[in-house]
Amino acid sequence: MSIVVVSSDSREKGREIAAKAAESLGYRYLGRELLETVARRHDVPREKLEEALDESPSLLGMSSKVRGRYLALVQMAALGELLGDDVVCHGLAAHLYVLGVSHVLRMRILADPEEEARRVADEKQVSLEKARKQVERRKKSSRKWSLDNYRIDESDPSHYDLVVSLSQLGADEAVKIVVQTLGYRKFEPMTYSVKCLRDAELAARVRVALVESFGTVEVRADGGRVVVETHALKREKRKKAENVKEVAGKVSGVDFVEVHVSTDVLRKAAESFR
Amino acid sequence: MRGAPPESGEGGRERGWIGCMKTRNDSKETEMSEEINVLLLDDEPIVGKRLKPALAKIGCQVEVFEEPAKALERLDEKEFDIVVTDIRMDEIDGMQVLDHVRKKSSRTKVIMITGYAMMSLAREAMEKGAFDFIAKPFQPNDLRRVIAKAAEALGSSIDFESAAGHDA
Repeated sequence: MSIVVVSSDSREKGREIAAKAAESLGYRYLGRELLETVARRHDVPREKLEEALDESPSLLGMSSKVRGRYLALVQMAALGELLGDDVVCHGLAAHLYVLGVSHVLRMRILADPEEEARRVADEKQVSLEKARKQVERRKKSSRKWSLDNYRIDESDPSHYDLVVSLSQLGADEAVKIVVQTLGYRKFEPMTYSVKCLRDAELAARVRVALVESFGTVEVRADGGRVVVETHALKREKRKKAENVKEVAGKVSGVDFVEVHVSTDVLRKAAESFR
Repeated sequence: MRGAPPESGEGGRERGWIGCMKTRNDSKETEMSEEINVLLLDDEPIVGKRLKPALAKIGCQVEVFEEPAKALERLDEKEFDIVVTDIRMDEIDGMQVLDHVRKKSSRTKVIMITGYAMMSLAREAMEKGAFDFIAKPFQPNDLRRVIAKAAEALGSSIDFESAAGHDA
C-alpha cells in the first residue's frame, strides 16, 4: 500500500537493497529498466536518458534544454508508475522529485567507503588508493548533479525518513529495517498523500508538454489547476503566456491554467550587448 | 464486521452502531437505525452548512459543531460512528479531538480536514489513529468517498455512486 524510494551513494548497493526490499515486501521493483520504455515511447536513445541521469551539466556535454527534456520524460514515467502503489523505486532520481508525499518512505543507503573502494579496484583493475579517489569523486559529482538539476543536496540526511550506513549494518538488516518502518501507520496512503502524488504526476505531464517548445518551466498542480512559471523578454510575455496556456490546457486532467511569466534578464542583457 | 450489541451506557449516555439496534438506556427507548452517525466539527460555519446536506444524501445523520469544547461534551455523551474534524481551531485543536475520541472509542473513525495540510501533520494524524486526512479545499464528493470507505470499515455500506450521480 506504500512506496519506498531508495537513494544511495553507491548505485550497486542501492539497487541491491531496493531489489531485496521489493522482494521481501512483495512490491514491484522500479529501476533503470523503465528507461527502455521511456526511450521507446518517446523515440529517444536510452543511453542519452542514462547520460542525463548520471552526468553533471558541462560545457561540452548535453545541452541543458535536452537534459531538461530527458529528465522530464523520466520523471513523468516514474511518477506514473508510482501512482500504482506497492513499489520500491531506485535509480530514477525519484528522491529528488517525490517530495511531501507522506506514504512515500524515502531511504538513503550509505555504502561502506572501504568496501566500495575494494569493489571499484577489483572492477576497474586499479590500485586501492586510486579506487578510493574515484569513489570520492563519484560522490561529489552525484551531489553536484542533484544540486544542478533539482536544487536539492541529495547527501543531506534531512531529506530522508531513514538513513542506513552499511558500515554498521548489513544489507539484510537494512531490508528488515525498511519492512519494519513501513509498518508505521504514517506511511499508509491517505486521501491527501494520494492527491499530492497525483498532483506531482499531472505537473510532470504538463512539464513534458511544455519543455520542448518553451524550455525551462516550473509547474505545480493542485487538483486540475496548474500553475506554470517561465521567463520571456518583456515584449514576448503576453504571447508566451497565451501559448503556454494553450499547450498546458490540452493535457488530460488539466481544468485551469495560470501562467506567470517573469522577465528573462539574461536574454535582455545579452540583447543589450549586441 | 458488525460490532457486538451496544453495552448499557452510564448516566443516560447513548451508544449507537451502524445498522443495528440503538438503545437509549434511561428511557428504555429502542429504535432501529441504518443511519451512520457523524459528528462534524469545524469552526467555520460555512463548512458544516455545506457538508451536512451533502452527507445526509448518503444516509448520514450529521451533528454539526463549531465549538470544539461543545463537540467534546457531545462525544462524551454519544459514541459516533464517524467524526470529521478540522485541525486548526482555537483553544482545542483537531489533534486533541482525535486523542479524545481514541480514548473513548476504538471503533469510531476519525477523518481530519485542514487548510494547512503538510506531510508532517498528515503523518502525525495517521500515527495517532486518524482514519484519513483530507486537505481543504475539497469537493463534498471527496468527503463522501472517504465516509463511504469508513462506513465500509465499520461493516456498513453507503451507496456513494448514486449520491455522486445526483450531484453531477
